[in-house]
Amino acid sequence: MTAVAVPRRARLRALVGIGRMSAQSLITYRFNLLFGIVSALVQIYLLRVVWHSVYHGRSTVNGITLDVQVAYSSLAAVQAWLLSPGLLWDIPQRVRDGTIAMDLLRPVRFLPQAFASQVGGVLAMLPFAVVALPFAVLVGGAVGPASTPAFFGYLLGLVTGFLISAILNLIVSMVSFWTLEIQGMLMIYRIVQQFFSGALVPLWFMPGWLHAIATVLPFQASGYTPLAIYVGRVSGGKAAQLLVEQAAWIVVLWLLLRLIWSRALRRIVVQGG
Amino acid sequence: MRTVRIYRALIGAAMRSELQYRTNLIMQTIGGVAFQGIGFAFIWVVVNRFGAISGWSIGDIAFLYGMRLTAHGLWTVPFSQLVYVEAVIRNAEFDRYLVRPVNPFIQLVCRRVMFQTLGDLAGGVALLGSAATLVNVDWSPLAVCYLVLALAGGALVEVSVNMTVTTLAFRFTRIYALRLLVDDIFNTFGSYPMRILPSAARFGLTFVLPLAFVAYFPASVLLHRTGQLSVPAGLAWCAPVVGIALFVGAYKFWMLQTKHYSSSGH
Repeated sequence: MTAVAVPRRARLRALVGIGRMSAQSLITYRFNLLFGIVSALVQIYLLRVVWHSVYHGRSTVNGITLDVQVAYSSLAAVQAWLLSPGLLWDIPQRVRDGTIAMDLLRPVRFLPQAFASQVGGVLAMLPFAVVALPFAVLVGGAVGPASTPAFFGYLLGLVTGFLISAILNLIVSMVSFWTLEIQGMLMIYRIVQQFFSGALVPLWFMPGWLHAIATVLPFQASGYTPLAIYVGRVSGGKAAQLLVEQAAWIVVLWLLLRLIWSRALRRIVVQGG
Repeated sequence: MRTVRIYRALIGAAMRSELQYRTNLIMQTIGGVAFQGIGFAFIWVVVNRFGAISGWSIGDIAFLYGMRLTAHGLWTVPFSQLVYVEAVIRNAEFDRYLVRPVNPFIQLVCRRVMFQTLGDLAGGVALLGSAATLVNVDWSPLAVCYLVLALAGGALVEVSVNMTVTTLAFRFTRIYALRLLVDDIFNTFGSYPMRILPSAARFGLTFVLPLAFVAYFPASVLLHRTGQLSVPAGLAWCAPVVGIALFVGAYKFWMLQTKHYSSSGH
């Protein structure tokens, strides 16, 4: 698409601008942000009550203490909210109303634009997540990271997890090039990804067959992996292996996205505009 | 009689317009079922690992979940448009309702039909049906009768709460946040045995937001678990009556508040 040669620096500046734009539009809908946090807190409270109830005085189940379990679900809820696919770059909307034409006319490739927009969105939400965290701890619970390497492993895993979820979001929103009515599909995607990323129940409590399914899907790499490292469920070589798997997912999904995008480009029909 | 005829005409028109987008409709319905499915999947995984939640087996909880979902479906199918009162007021669409010779409430609920809500109803009935064989209930005609009444009562409790919240829009215009929060609390806590909650939360979800009357109380009655409740068994039995009483109150409140409608002037 981009026949015009644009210097690298200018391209980067353009992408930063796009990211900032998306951050601003997200913050404009303050109410949505706030509701997302309150809803996450309600969820955290329920999970805390459920885990307290089922542990019923037992100190550990499957090697997981109650404190660790409650901390996992509290952190998972905040993290899921932060990386939520509700942040879908509004590709479906832009395809529908034709503004996608403007994106394609820009002298920066489309995928980096869409990606910059996702990064901008998450960076805008990050301060809110930091503010929400103490409330999540209050409503749910918290434990410190299992060790110093676990903490850094967590941060690394969180960043790579975000990349995975961002690429997945883009892949799913590409479907709007084939059909305009994708609200239902986006909803199903959100639900499947929420469940298999371990946002509700960690992989360690899933029965064998479900665990097997979750392991081969990319969703666990975006949510469960960093958390499992944080609480020390996996450490050392095993943790390193999970981080490598995350990187592999990024490569595979990125290639898939490129493939789908090259097809989508041929399908595009701009309405109005 | 005339009202019934008009209702049928209006709802028929709304249905026809909705059926124009079939594929998305089906996907949204599946999405709705998946949304409820994941909630139940979580419970299933937990019970599978821990045996029960507060003494409630998977069959018991499926029964409770099915009751609450069916009640939810029963109110959202005919009354889905209630949640749009805010937009209707802000866009002064309500002006139109007032000049037409039909009850504004009926015009509002016939605004559109959300077929997706049928997914909740179908999912609820399916879950309830399969759970009915798992639970230790003697399905005498009386028990079946109570179940039907309880489902209707549960739907009425939910619709009353939602009506009351949305009716506030006539006074405070912006009630979106409150509505979402109430909906969220209902969806989050509605399908769990409330025993797991601390007493203050239980009290709140019984007497402030009457969620316990939707499914938890009548399910406890049918499952012979009223002994575990922190309220007298008689009150739990009365859940269907509570639904009717709340609905009458909520409708009166609606009628009272519509008088405060001032057009936003478009």
